[in-house]
Amino acid sequence: MFILNPQSGVPIYRQILEQVRRMIASGQLRPGAELPSIRELALTHAVNAMTISKAYSLLETEGLLVRHRGKLMTVAGLARNAVRGQSPLNKRLEQIDHLVDQLVLAARQLQLSEGELAKALRRKWEETDEKHDRRSITPR
Amino acid sequence: MKNTTVEASHLGKAYGATRVLQGLSFSVEPGDVVGVLGKNGAGKTTLLELMLGFTLPTEGEVRVFGHESTRMPGAAKARVGFVPQQDELLDQLNVADQIRVIASFYKNWDGELMTRLCEEWGIRASARIKSMSVGERQKLSILLALGHRPDLLLLDEPVASLDPIARRQFLEQLVEISSEGQRAIIFSSHIVSDIERLANRIWILKEGRLFWQGDLDSLKESIVRLHLRGSIPLPEEAGIPGAISIRRDASFPTAIVRDWSDSAQVELERRIDGSVEVQPLGLEEIFVELHR
Repeated sequence: MFILNPQSGVPIYRQILEQVRRMIASGQLRPGAELPSIRELALTHAVNAMTISKAYSLLETEGLLVRHRGKLMTVAGLARNAVRGQSPLNKRLEQIDHLVDQLVLAARQLQLSEGELAKALRRKWEETDEKHDRRSITPR
Repeated sequence: MKNTTVEASHLGKAYGATRVLQGLSFSVEPGDVVGVLGKNGAGKTTLLELMLGFTLPTEGEVRVFGHESTRMPGAAKARVGFVPQQDELLDQLNVADQIRVIASFYKNWDGELMTRLCEEWGIRASARIKSMSVGERQKLSILLALGHRPDLLLLDEPVASLDPIARRQFLEQLVEISSEGQRAIIFSSHIVSDIERLANRIWILKEGRLFWQGDLDSLKESIVRLHLRGSIPLPEEAGIPGAISIRRDASFPTAIVRDWSDSAQVELERRIDGSVEVQPLGLEEIFVELHR
């Protein structure tokens, strides 16, 4: 379920952190959904188990995942998220900061204007909006 | 000395006037997978030999399961597995006999595990060692080091002759062993991408010293490359905080820095009146950059 690149300069635990956060934010991972075990991930990707366990622990501390004794970790329920309170806007923006950096850099290299970039972004947003809406009305 | 698997303090080795290793202090805990990197002649093999007690240190000491490595009792030795760079298989035997010879040294030999692994790795019991390819010999040599389920597994360039499929099988086997969390693995390899998958800790040996030791994740977070795109050139004598090396010759200068901070970023961008892009580096690039 994760796309991991062990040769990247971004440590594996960070790759998992970012992907889980994004999947939860986008609704791909819903409250109660189970995550693969550390051992399973380590074996399927042939990577060290400790870096995966570090990612899961950090996500637990953030309140996004819940640990169950002897069972798979799950995505925290909405109530839990509500108690934790939605993370502040700047925290959420921070998570896509490096993606925005890359986007702006690429746009500048292609000599696109700010307006052109914003327009492309808006178009994409609306496209995915439709998909997103469709997904969220399907009954669970 | 609780559960520490290996502990070295000020460990060194000299052959006559030639100092191969000096001042090495480190510890390895159960569950650790240590990847040892170093150029040819950096002392990797000597370091493994010191831990195995094959050779006496000329300074300091190294303890394995709490015992000085050269004075390990039999029970402690039986908890160590070793894959040498050059296999020590006996040409005149077939695989089954070779396994029997090694198994006879260990009370804790797991014959079932051996049979299963031979099957998975495609090693026939009846094959004659003399007629095996270099890769097959290497596979067998690795399997022989696993049969007694060692708590400490040392591997010296174990995969140099393995094809990509066999290497992956080898990696998966080691991930399985290490994910139990009880056993420690130390292995040297020039195949940096294998170390990047398997290891949680990295030792970089440079000119006989432990130049870097720590978490792989922290190493990647600590060392990055900066790309400077400014309108004011960086003055000849100007430094960059934490710089390991700076390349000013290119039209856009780059620098390798350690522990880069947001405040350093803002300051540098102001100095060059432009932008500084931070590029994370994979282990291979870090290794090469640390040797420039």
